[in-house]
Amino acid sequence: MAPPAQSHRSPSPSQPSGKGEVSDLKMQLRQLAGSRAPGTDDSKRELFKKVISYMTIGIDVSSVFSEMVMCSATSDIVLKKMCYLYVGNYARYNPDLSLLTINFLQRDCKDEDPMIRGLALRSLCTLRVANLVEYLVGPLGSGLKDGNSYVRMVAAVGVLKLYHISSSTCMDADFPVTLKHLMLNDPDAQVVANCLCALQEIWSLEATTSEEASREREVLLSKPVIYYLLNRIKEFSEWAQCIVLELVSKYVPTDSNEIFDIMNLLEDRLQHANGAVVLATVKVFLQLTLSLTDTHQQVYERIKAPLLTQVSSGSPEQSYAVLSHLHLLVMRAPILFSTDYKHFYCQYNEPFYVKKLKLEMLTAVANESNTYEIVTELCEYAANVDIPMARESIRAVGKIALQQYDVNAIVDRLLQFLEMEKDYVTAETLVLVKDLLRKYPQWSHDCIAVVGNISSKNVQEPKAKAALIWMLGEYAQDMQDAPYVLESLAENWDDEHSAEVRLHLLTAVLKCFVRRPPETQKALGAALAAGLSDFHQDVHDRALFYYRLLQYKVSVAEGVVNPPKQAVSVFADTQSSEIKDRIFDEFNSLAVVYQKPSYMFTDKEHRGPFAFSEELGNLSIGAESAENIVSAQRVDANDQDLLLSTSEKEESRGPSNNGSAYSAPSYDSSAPLVASHAQSELVSLDQTLPQAPQAIDDLLGLSFAVTPTPAASPPPLRLNAKAVLDPNTFQQKWRQLPVSISQEGSVTPQGVAALTTPQALLRHMQGHFIHCIASGGQAPNFKFFFFAQKAEESSTFLVECIINSSSCKAQIKIKADDQGTSHAFVALFQSALSSFGMS
Amino acid sequence: MAGATSALFILDIKGRCLISRNYRGDVTSAQAEQFFTKLLEKEGDVESQGPVGYDNGVTYMFIQHNNVYLMTASRQNCNAASLILFLHHVVDVFRCYFEELEEESIRDNFVVVYELLDEMMDFGYPQCTDANILSEFIKTDAYRMEVTQRPPMALTNAVSWRSEGIYYSSNEVFLDVVESVNILVNSNGQIIRSDVIGAIKMRTYLSGMPECKLGLNDRVLLEAQGGTTKGKAIDLDDIKFHQCVRLARFDSDRTISFIPPDGSFDLMTYRISTQVKPLIWVEAQVVRHARSRVEIMVKARSQFKERSSANHVEIELPVPCDASNPNVRTSMGRAKYAPEKDALLWKIRSFPGNKEFMLAAELRLPSVTSEEAVSDRKAPIRVKFEIPYFTVSGIQVRFLKIIEKSGYQTLPWVRYLTVAGEYELRLI
Repeated sequence: MAPPAQSHRSPSPSQPSGKGEVSDLKMQLRQLAGSRAPGTDDSKRELFKKVISYMTIGIDVSSVFSEMVMCSATSDIVLKKMCYLYVGNYARYNPDLSLLTINFLQRDCKDEDPMIRGLALRSLCTLRVANLVEYLVGPLGSGLKDGNSYVRMVAAVGVLKLYHISSSTCMDADFPVTLKHLMLNDPDAQVVANCLCALQEIWSLEATTSEEASREREVLLSKPVIYYLLNRIKEFSEWAQCIVLELVSKYVPTDSNEIFDIMNLLEDRLQHANGAVVLATVKVFLQLTLSLTDTHQQVYERIKAPLLTQVSSGSPEQSYAVLSHLHLLVMRAPILFSTDYKHFYCQYNEPFYVKKLKLEMLTAVANESNTYEIVTELCEYAANVDIPMARESIRAVGKIALQQYDVNAIVDRLLQFLEMEKDYVTAETLVLVKDLLRKYPQWSHDCIAVVGNISSKNVQEPKAKAALIWMLGEYAQDMQDAPYVLESLAENWDDEHSAEVRLHLLTAVLKCFVRRPPETQKALGAALAAGLSDFHQDVHDRALFYYRLLQYKVSVAEGVVNPPKQAVSVFADTQSSEIKDRIFDEFNSLAVVYQKPSYMFTDKEHRGPFAFSEELGNLSIGAESAENIVSAQRVDANDQDLLLSTSEKEESRGPSNNGSAYSAPSYDSSAPLVASHAQSELVSLDQTLPQAPQAIDDLLGLSFAVTPTPAASPPPLRLNAKAVLDPNTFQQKWRQLPVSISQEGSVTPQGVAALTTPQALLRHMQGHFIHCIASGGQAPNFKFFFFAQKAEESSTFLVECIINSSSCKAQIKIKADDQGTSHAFVALFQSALSSFGMS
Repeated sequence: MAGATSALFILDIKGRCLISRNYRGDVTSAQAEQFFTKLLEKEGDVESQGPVGYDNGVTYMFIQHNNVYLMTASRQNCNAASLILFLHHVVDVFRCYFEELEEESIRDNFVVVYELLDEMMDFGYPQCTDANILSEFIKTDAYRMEVTQRPPMALTNAVSWRSEGIYYSSNEVFLDVVESVNILVNSNGQIIRSDVIGAIKMRTYLSGMPECKLGLNDRVLLEAQGGTTKGKAIDLDDIKFHQCVRLARFDSDRTISFIPPDGSFDLMTYRISTQVKPLIWVEAQVVRHARSRVEIMVKARSQFKERSSANHVEIELPVPCDASNPNVRTSMGRAKYAPEKDALLWKIRSFPGNKEFMLAAELRLPSVTSEEAVSDRKAPIRVKFEIPYFTVSGIQVRFLKIIEKSGYQTLPWVRYLTVAGEYELRLI
């Protein structure tokens, strides 16, 4: 709604400028306020409508606040609605005046018409004025008990609104308990759904601070609740069904019978007319069957038809959303759509964003059997449709070529592109041919013949030009006129604006020189001279470097620019499997559209309900499988875990530091996220490490007088008080070392109580010379990574410790440089851990 | 998780905010406008950007309808597909209320728009988007209303899509079976893709709480009943039903039974992916005499039985974008040059089955062309048509039984119609 801040926007000439009209309105409203004459309501309506229309176009009409409130004594519902709307818009900016409204809203909450009761209650809750919350409790309480379901429905969401204004008031009034009761008993499905939404949000926000809340949050996922909701699923509206299904997808069934029961019950949801319900059901099926490989495959088969229908029959926006999900699925099961590739052929009139996703799908589903058809179709796009589409299509052909074994036909197609003599087609194709040659050098002969015919004058785009120059250098011996082409390029050095191209040119000239010295000498001279005087630092440095190399010894220079190369077998995948799994966990959400997990694009306080419990799931899986043989892959995943938990920790510090809600660091949506992000987190941890020793001194002197310091009663193993380990080394070691001990420890109840701030434990462990390098998790599961070093030698112990605060248990995993002393260390660690909270 | 939406905006074509409903108070309309302005400033039209955008911690999702944009903003990880669908439902509701949704109708009805937005979403969670139900307690003509409004029973009923106490003096049901044919033919004349999207649309004017049962010539059902497959039975690939249909019963014995909503709705949709013969086949020969003229010879043939006839056939023939002075002759219908589409539009009001018509055209080309040759977008030939009393799939409504406790008689009316969907034939 238009806040007053907008009122300075200059209105268009046809619109009233504001001031005069507003004071007129004020006058007229005042006259009507007391009048009981027949027809008053009609004139009030006209005036109210005017006020609202001013408000909508951004004129500040807050000055008529008291008049509006005075006029609100009416039984006319349309008038009331307009008045509520007005009040809701301006109350936040006039907290004093809004006290006036409380009275009439409270009165309306007791009106005999349920519609008015509901509307008044909704307006009351949307005032968002913190000092008025006390007036909310009464009406909300009676609203939740109201005989009419419309009022209860509004009240359920009202509780959530109250919680966001003042969580303590909401909790003190015990509203969540009432909501839970309503959710499990109310005959009206929409009331149940709204209670569920409210409870999900409240419990997950509370769970960060309260044990009980996180237990309650688990209860939402318990068998009785899930079964209760599932049994009523048909009563819910389509949107509420989505919410219930989302909850069900988090449920962990106890055995496979349960899984099949749920799937049988939900089978018919796949035929629902609302695509959102279908997609939510798909998610339930996929998540439930993760542990049953065969069934999981069957599920893929089952969901195929409904999803394909949505692609072709919905709106383009809808197809876009569904295609994003299909892309995720096809990455996990490429064979799935390989016979249905025709569904992803582009229609002429489709918007570009849909076409682009369809091209990605075509690339992903291409295999030996369908490549020919797909590439034929792609070539059609490359030749026919608009330029961006042509470019994307050529890239798609290239990607298919790079992922196939039988590239014979594709290479021919690419070479045909070059003969089309359209600049943008040539440019895209050159880049592709270059990548192709790096992977399949055996094709060089055919490609070079065609590439050699391309005049470098027709290639303008930097990337394409760089690719062409690279090929000229790399295949100098096969291309007759390579030295001369390079020479003319070097002579026109100043015309070349892209540093990337100039860098490539330097290298290519040198490569050419070592193969055909006499012919290239002139080009080399020109290139080096131009390069040395280049204003771009990198170009200058490279020219200088080559110059000195050549001065030193030509054979060394050759070794540098033209070493024997191996063909690239696989180009690096940009996303780790861990990230992909996380996106899969967040199926049916924005994460899939963005192709990155939600923590990368939402602020901490806007993470949804159960986002943390996913984290827990990951943790416990990690704990189980690592007990088995430590496969390289598993350790890798653990590493990722570690990275994530460090960043989680950093974020949780964010809001408390700067207080204001939205200034928490926002993530750049385009950056290559994980790596750089995690790295910067690690660096910041690194910086805090050197301060650790002082903290220890403090603590030793003050609070830990009772605990035995290693000096007082020396255990057989002595640890280095000032141990230092940088996160990268930690990660490396964690990956390399096998688990030497894995056991369960315990934490005292007092310790668990102190765990509300994990920092307390970190300080405590530091007192025992065990340092924390990363921590994360949410109640009840916390995860810590510790390290310690022996006092005498630089032998390191690494610890992963998962503490479950509800059971007071700790899972401890130790990795050590020196396996022999790890038992001594684990004893030390256990005693340190169990003494936590005792001081 | 299904995250909640922060706010919903209705923007005009320039990205200015017409109406906004700030459900959670954490995204202002100024932020939304800022995002949209950035979007509009980017190269290319908004169309090519995709319906989901991200700016400064907020995700925006939008759809366009006529000259307005509907946009949601959210800070949480929302359910993208469901929100986009929700926006489309909002559009449907507005269209029910204001006939057409456009800037003008929003401005004229902003009070109702606010009311509707409040009922369709509460604190960012979608609530009720059924226009039939909403219209029972939010009236456009509220100004003349005397009786106090009550929340409709339907919001609280087990049958949420139908209110009790509906009465019509004559009870009627209209069934429309509409199939839309999507086809893609490549330049060699091969069909590379074809499917049929069908829908059974219903308009009900029935009193009380009628129980309906619909019988189709569904192969699975007919075979289950003992295989008396007289005539043609059909395989429906992927069926979706309106929420009123008892899905469990369909699953167990393929009966389509339901209590219909009042008014019009889509009872079911289905898809059939078997190969379809192109109903109207178009062949074109283009001879291009560079820098002088282009000659186009077109042959259109209807490939269905004589007793059917296609209406409102419109064949869009792409021509070079720099062509001019068309000279067209046709053996049937009229052809018009539409420079804005770079196409000739050949319209034939009635195209009987098994007939062939011709078109010959000649267009001038400029004698001077710019050096940078304009990339010739080879658009496909596109065809639109409607064939009444005919379905490609052969689907048939065998019966529609309506039982209501008051025992009134009803007469169901059934119509069949086949239309062209995405019907594209690529030029040679």
